[in-house]
Amino acid sequence: MSQHSLTDLTSHCIRCGFCLEDCPTFKITGEEHESPRGRIYLVRSAEEGKLDWDEARPHLDRCLGCRACETACPSGVEYGAILELARERLGAKPATKMLLSGLTDSRKARLQFQLGAMMPGKRMPALLSKWVSGETPEANIPRVGTVREWPTVDESALPPIRGEVALLMGCVMQVLYPDVHEATRRLLRRVGYRVHDVLGGCCGALHAHSGMTKEAGDRLTDLKQQLPPGMPLIVNSAGCGSTLKESDLKEQTLDASEFLLANGLVEVIRSGREQRVRLTYHDACHLAHGQGVRSQPRELLRAIPGIEFVELEEADTCCGSAGIYNIQQPLLARRLLERKWEFVQQSGAQIVATGNPGCHAWIAQRAEEAGQQVQVLHTLQAIEMACSGMLA
Amino acid sequence: MLTGDAVRWGAAVDRAYDCDAYTVDRSAPAAVVLPSTEQEVQAVVRWCVASRVPFTPRGAGTGLSGGAMPALGGVVISTKRLNRILEVDLPNQRLHAEAGVTNSALSKAVAHAGLHFAPDPSSQTVSTLGGNIAENSGGPHTLKYGVTAPHILTVRVVSPNGEMQEFGRRVVGGPGPAWERLVVGSEGLLGVVVSAWVHLTPVPKAVQTVLVALPTIRAASDAVASVIASGIVPAALEMMDRNILMALKVAFGLEFPADTAALLLLECDGEPKQVEEDFARMLAILKGFAPLELRVASDEAERKSLWTARKKGIGAMGRLAPTIVTHDGVIPPSTLPDMLEFVYAVAAREGIGVANLFHAGDGNLHPCFYFDDRDPKQVESVVRAGEEIMRKCLELGGSLTGEHGIGVEKVGLMHAMFGPEDMALQRRVKELFNPDTLCNPCKLIPDQKGCVEHMVRWRGVAT
Ligand code: SF4
Ligand code: SF4
Repeated sequence: MSQHSLTDLTSHCIRCGFCLEDCPTFKITGEEHESPRGRIYLVRSAEEGKLDWDEARPHLDRCLGCRACETACPSGVEYGAILELARERLGAKPATKMLLSGLTDSRKARLQFQLGAMMPGKRMPALLSKWVSGETPEANIPRVGTVREWPTVDESALPPIRGEVALLMGCVMQVLYPDVHEATRRLLRRVGYRVHDVLGGCCGALHAHSGMTKEAGDRLTDLKQQLPPGMPLIVNSAGCGSTLKESDLKEQTLDASEFLLANGLVEVIRSGREQRVRLTYHDACHLAHGQGVRSQPRELLRAIPGIEFVELEEADTCCGSAGIYNIQQPLLARRLLERKWEFVQQSGAQIVATGNPGCHAWIAQRAEEAGQQVQVLHTLQAIEMACSGMLA
Repeated sequence: MLTGDAVRWGAAVDRAYDCDAYTVDRSAPAAVVLPSTEQEVQAVVRWCVASRVPFTPRGAGTGLSGGAMPALGGVVISTKRLNRILEVDLPNQRLHAEAGVTNSALSKAVAHAGLHFAPDPSSQTVSTLGGNIAENSGGPHTLKYGVTAPHILTVRVVSPNGEMQEFGRRVVGGPGPAWERLVVGSEGLLGVVVSAWVHLTPVPKAVQTVLVALPTIRAASDAVASVIASGIVPAALEMMDRNILMALKVAFGLEFPADTAALLLLECDGEPKQVEEDFARMLAILKGFAPLELRVASDEAERKSLWTARKKGIGAMGRLAPTIVTHDGVIPPSTLPDMLEFVYAVAAREGIGVANLFHAGDGNLHPCFYFDDRDPKQVESVVRAGEEIMRKCLELGGSLTGEHGIGVEKVGLMHAMFGPEDMALQRRVKELFNPDTLCNPCKLIPDQKGCVEHMVRWRGVAT
């Protein structure tokens, strides 16, 4: 995280407005106080004592933290850092703490999701949602994930082992998407790497994004202790990756797509069977804007033999999932999801690939509502399925 | 009549709307209204007139002279939800769009047909059609294609007394003066623009771009003069000084030879054969000025990266200091070296940083001051320096503004440019449309009722 003060960080905004049309919440509301420029100005004013922090709060609450504004800003404003510091000033609400304590502890999360599946309806009870967001819920309670039956890989066709990498299991990921981890392991093996699972749950990203800086720091320390020194840390969840790349683990951390591309996966993918299917790609904010990882997943997906890769309109605009945003701001999150879904339909794709569990679950929910004509997969799942000849 | 979420107020909202991209003058509105239809705009204006509340139209708020700042408080009418393209008429190369559509969105909507909306202010990805019309925005390609005015066929406005009016005609030619030109550039004083028919221009078939590094400002400005004198009409002819280069290096890692004092960006566009000829001639002329480096874009990607230098140059300045203020004035192109010397001298005397960006082809200069607006002294210096530079522009036979408008920033200087008779006539025109000055008060025309106090206040500190 940035070492600068809030006043210094915010004062670098020259108010040019070049970020406005890249901000999802500005695009749908047209309101200055729901734009990056507006939010920065409110934070600066509050920090200088010219505005009550409480007045700024609702507008910061509505910020997705997607950091599309950072990509757009010619002046190099570090919006992510501003947001984290501002949220720290505001302090997380009790409801947020409750949500996070459940979500980021894998054992608790598993239990909660299992209980959730037994409750009537698919969503959080309305009363609880009112407490968290003041609105009725939109996001379904996630389901505990399972690992699909992958065909056995022909060991003799694999390259010899050339090294070992650590794979971050994560808090949410290992409960919701163990299958993504399995796909990642298989792909790493395909390019000659053995995997060391890092079980220590949580990197603290969700806490950091909610202004719980101390909790975030503690979690990071725990994680570090589990990591063999110097071993590359492979991450397949965009939000975690972007937080880790801003920590002192930044030298070691790599998104799985970066690592796999750099280690020759394209050749492996090309040698697979033909998969005739139309596929599109949604940029997770914390990959595209947070880590600048845009071309690597696309290059891998395009390498699938027979694939028809189509670009999604506004591919790098937030889908509204944004960590726990869709629980805290159900209405805005839903509007963003609808906008995303419209473009998915326009693309005519049968598969949407993306690199983050939040986006994955949220877009998949929409696909389910539409009757499952579209399948939502993690980028690495799609690729491993192609390698195993089971994508189309 | 207005839906619930169309009216916003409260401490945060008022704060957010208290200025546009001209930051040294601020004034908070009492409320912000975001209408979604022209009927809603009309209803708001009528309410304001009946209640004697001042109102100020606002597009994206990227203006650089304070045009969207609610100088006397009251209501800000945002056009951001008037964001539909109403009709596209490709065979006749025109389209009808609402005021809140961004400049880039207009071009995007017709890109498949090989057309675009030619005015290209640097803010084009965010600035709105309504704002471009109000300010008569220009851009780098103004040299060949003109400012916003010649591309506007009709303008539909809600007049300051709440009536729907349409100026202009959808075809070329017709009786009487071109009334739409009265509205274009009137800085929102003659009503709230709600929609317009615009003329579309074919995207040029060929483009050639070159970036040239030169050792002195004199050499750069002589090179500009020679290119213009040769009869070539470049699509763009831009100049940047060494301080801009510093920002570009920090922001985008763009590097130039160490002794560069000025960068020129030149572009030719049109029919392939013509472009090739013109461009070759232009390069020959440029080589005569002993350039330190000459970068020709070999493809579209490289062309884009050369343009980054120009389009994001000002934005990149934010990396050098907390705040920037970009001025805007016009001089006869031949006086450029003298003018620049003057700008440097004024900045040095005031102890503030300045970088310069020019539309060199038409003498439109943009000195950009970088400073810390938390220091009242520096704010004063910047305001004083700006005024001096504007007076120098006039002295050299130029103008107070090329494309940013007068707004509140330069309203006090209007007397220096226009004589009493001229000023009286302008005032009469304004009063004809806007008799009780409720619509966007304190802008463009000096000495308006109730604005004196405001004028005094804004010479102070950004609060
Ligand atoms: S982080 Fe995303 S939602 Fe928040 S201000 Fe930036 S672009 Fe807008
Ligand atoms: S683009 Fe950057 S400098 Fe410009 S308004 Fe947005 S955050 Fe501020």
